[in-house]
Amino acid sequence: MILFILFSTITVKAFDTPNDGGGSITIKAYNVPETVKKALVYRKTEGDTTYTFAGVMSILSYRYVDANSTIKNGKPYYYRVDFYFPDTVISVESDSPGIAYAQWYDKTKTSSLIFLIVFSTLVLVFIQLAKKDPEGLYIRKIPALDAIDEAVGRSTELGKPTFFVHGLLGITDAGTLAALTILRRVAKKVAEYDTPILVTNFDPIVMTASQETVKQAYTEAGRPDAYNEKNIIYLTYEQFGYTAGVDGLMVREKPGAIFLQGYFFAESLILAETGHSVGAIQIAGTTAKEQLPFFVAACDYVLIGEEMLAASSYIGREPVMLGSVKGADWGKAFLMGVIGIGVVLGTVGAILQSAGNGALMNVFEKILAFF
Amino acid sequence: MGFWDRFLKIDRRWIFLVVWIAVVIPLIKPLGLPTHITPPVQKLYDFIDDLQGEEKAVLLSFDFDPSTMPELLPMGVAIIRHCFAKKIPIIVYGGLYPQGVGMAKMAIDMAKTDFPDIVYGRDYVFLGYVPGVSLVILSIGESIQGTFGNDYFGNRLDTLPLTMSVDNYEKIGIVVDLSGSSIPAAWINYAYQRYGCRIGCGTTAVSAAQYYPYLQTGQFVGMLGGLKGAAEYEELLERNGIPTGRREATIGMDAQSVVHLLIILLIILGNIGFFYVRRRERRV
Amino acid sequence: MHISTNPWVWIAAILTLAIYSFLYKDNPFYKFAEHLFMGLGIGYGAVILWYNSIIPRLWNPLAHGTSPSRFYLLIPVALGLLALSIFSRRYSWLIKYPLAFYMGAVTGFSVPVSFEAYIFEQAQGTILKHSMFSNPWLGISNIIMFIGVITTITYFYFSKHHKGLLGKSARVGIVYIMLAFGASFGYTVMARISLLIGRMQFLLHDWLGIIK
Repeated sequence: MILFILFSTITVKAFDTPNDGGGSITIKAYNVPETVKKALVYRKTEGDTTYTFAGVMSILSYRYVDANSTIKNGKPYYYRVDFYFPDTVISVESDSPGIAYAQWYDKTKTSSLIFLIVFSTLVLVFIQLAKKDPEGLYIRKIPALDAIDEAVGRSTELGKPTFFVHGLLGITDAGTLAALTILRRVAKKVAEYDTPILVTNFDPIVMTASQETVKQAYTEAGRPDAYNEKNIIYLTYEQFGYTAGVDGLMVREKPGAIFLQGYFFAESLILAETGHSVGAIQIAGTTAKEQLPFFVAACDYVLIGEEMLAASSYIGREPVMLGSVKGADWGKAFLMGVIGIGVVLGTVGAILQSAGNGALMNVFEKILAFF
Repeated sequence: MGFWDRFLKIDRRWIFLVVWIAVVIPLIKPLGLPTHITPPVQKLYDFIDDLQGEEKAVLLSFDFDPSTMPELLPMGVAIIRHCFAKKIPIIVYGGLYPQGVGMAKMAIDMAKTDFPDIVYGRDYVFLGYVPGVSLVILSIGESIQGTFGNDYFGNRLDTLPLTMSVDNYEKIGIVVDLSGSSIPAAWINYAYQRYGCRIGCGTTAVSAAQYYPYLQTGQFVGMLGGLKGAAEYEELLERNGIPTGRREATIGMDAQSVVHLLIILLIILGNIGFFYVRRRERRV
Repeated sequence: MHISTNPWVWIAAILTLAIYSFLYKDNPFYKFAEHLFMGLGIGYGAVILWYNSIIPRLWNPLAHGTSPSRFYLLIPVALGLLALSIFSRRYSWLIKYPLAFYMGAVTGFSVPVSFEAYIFEQAQGTILKHSMFSNPWLGISNIIMFIGVITTITYFYFSKHHKGLLGKSARVGIVYIMLAFGASFGYTVMARISLLIGRMQFLLHDWLGIIK
């Protein structure tokens, strides 16, 4: 009698696993008594007389995904699940075969698609606005930018050169491009103050770009005659060879100001410490978050991560970078709004739920699940 | 020149010497300091332990080179020992860096000495290096046999019992990634987000701080951070009666603690000296 | 004391000491060891790539395979060879094709998962839920985390001047950022000491046999 009741209540369904690229069938069991100890899944195809072992079904979710590489799309597979109880084993076959198909669209990624479209649209709109009126888009001034003038001024007073040290990544890195924009500002200042500048480079292509940038800056400052190509030097493509070279220059030349801009690795503290030891004012900027603590400890001013990109947008007003910064800001504002609304909904929902009304909590959980 | 002036100008080589002494003495004369288990390590241990009898494998990826070996290799050895002891099938993956293969081989050789009944192909499989990083992680989700073809020794994967039954993330209970770089984030992106495979992480202390957000959201099941994390896992093995061999990480923790105290002392003295000298200069 | 008789252990020990000699002063032993390390690293990587990747996954299927679909392998080979055009002034523009394919493919499969991993999951983890207050300490910790996330994001908000409420929030954010840097710095010090401990263990145990 008990066996009959158990046997009649348990059902097994096999169906295509949704939102995948095919080759997978989901087997789900319903009305399984809680006394089950384990459940083993067996599979056979059309024409087979016997089932072969497929896997172990979870007795928490009563769900098994058969994604064996032998599963072919469009072919029917039949399943049997053996439920092991303390004193008996019940075998239940699926009421219909499962057939795997590939879906064109993964519905679980809808939130990503919406966010991608919204965010991309924002960035593209701001890039277009920046092209029409670069000065019209407000970016707040980064405090470290004021320090550039102060640093170059200090170098001039002391009669010492200014150093600009590039990071270790190439021209395709966003941080390197931002560093070049900052270099233009620094170079323009040194041209106005007639202070010597030395720009060290790790990458030969970055060196070429630096030469063009500095030359242009000197021309804008009205001092094209003062530009000296030999002040922009390539040291070596080897990490600690570059570090040793820059350190040697710092110790010998004793600059008044040092700019460490770009992406750095383990050499960051070595460079910053040496610069500190020669008494220079140091302004660092990097997107390498592991190195930021060292720069913050050893330098006078630091452009932290995205501040470097914002600083270069502020200086250069280049439409793509400016539009990206503005679009990212809107993205951040949206995210903060979502978090804030989520907290309010969650808090009010929890209070109402404890008072017996779970409707708002359901809404909150559905929104969370959507993301 | 007063004491604090001399202290602030001390040649750094004296500090190197003092640090070296602080490392060597506890190694030669161990202090036997206790190891306390932290929740991230306990969670990872428990998750792997619960895989016993589940017929799902652990995929242990060695994504590091010799420069981070002191921190990460003991983690790898400890996890392999755990799986061998509890008969949890383990796929040791030589990793997404070429140098990881050597590290993985060393770990297997060190771990299997205490488990003579372990059978290659049934209890563990060793996969070699395949370039591609994110593409490899995605490809494993489709088919391990298709991604690798053969194991490190040249055996076809469709002839080994373990890889015949474990062919993608569906049959992998957890991926534990040992790495000193941003590779664990790639495993989250492609293995967890795309295929729902659970991820654990063993990382150097340099990178540990940046992975706590993933631990908090549950994207990482657990995390071993630096030499301390490795020592905690060794301690858990010891407490559960699993042979640990030479507990390299635990042996190193005495020296780690002594040096940390030394560095705290130097920082305090350095700050006292800095503020004292600055106040004196202001008065002058 | 049981000094190792394994020549490879001796070589590793001597090279370790050569590298550490830099702490006293730069010297030819250090330079030799450094250059040896650079060369070995590149050579080892190249050999692993050749024997683990190019031979089994490209050469063997093309030269010894029988499946007609193996010729599809020539497409990524051609794209890869186009990347070498960077060395030619005249034909360097050809590198745009493999770069475009690579960047398109990588962007395509990384952007959606990056949104989920870095933005949605993190935002969900930040939203305060009832379960986060299962015990008082956990609740306080989650409130501190929530305040930190919001204030740190406001620090990196560049479209408005930092004054008023936004300015105060950004100042709190800076405190959180500095605390994070301090933790990161401390962890890094720990990591560097761990590496030293590892090397000392090798010298004292594997080489000299002084410690068990």
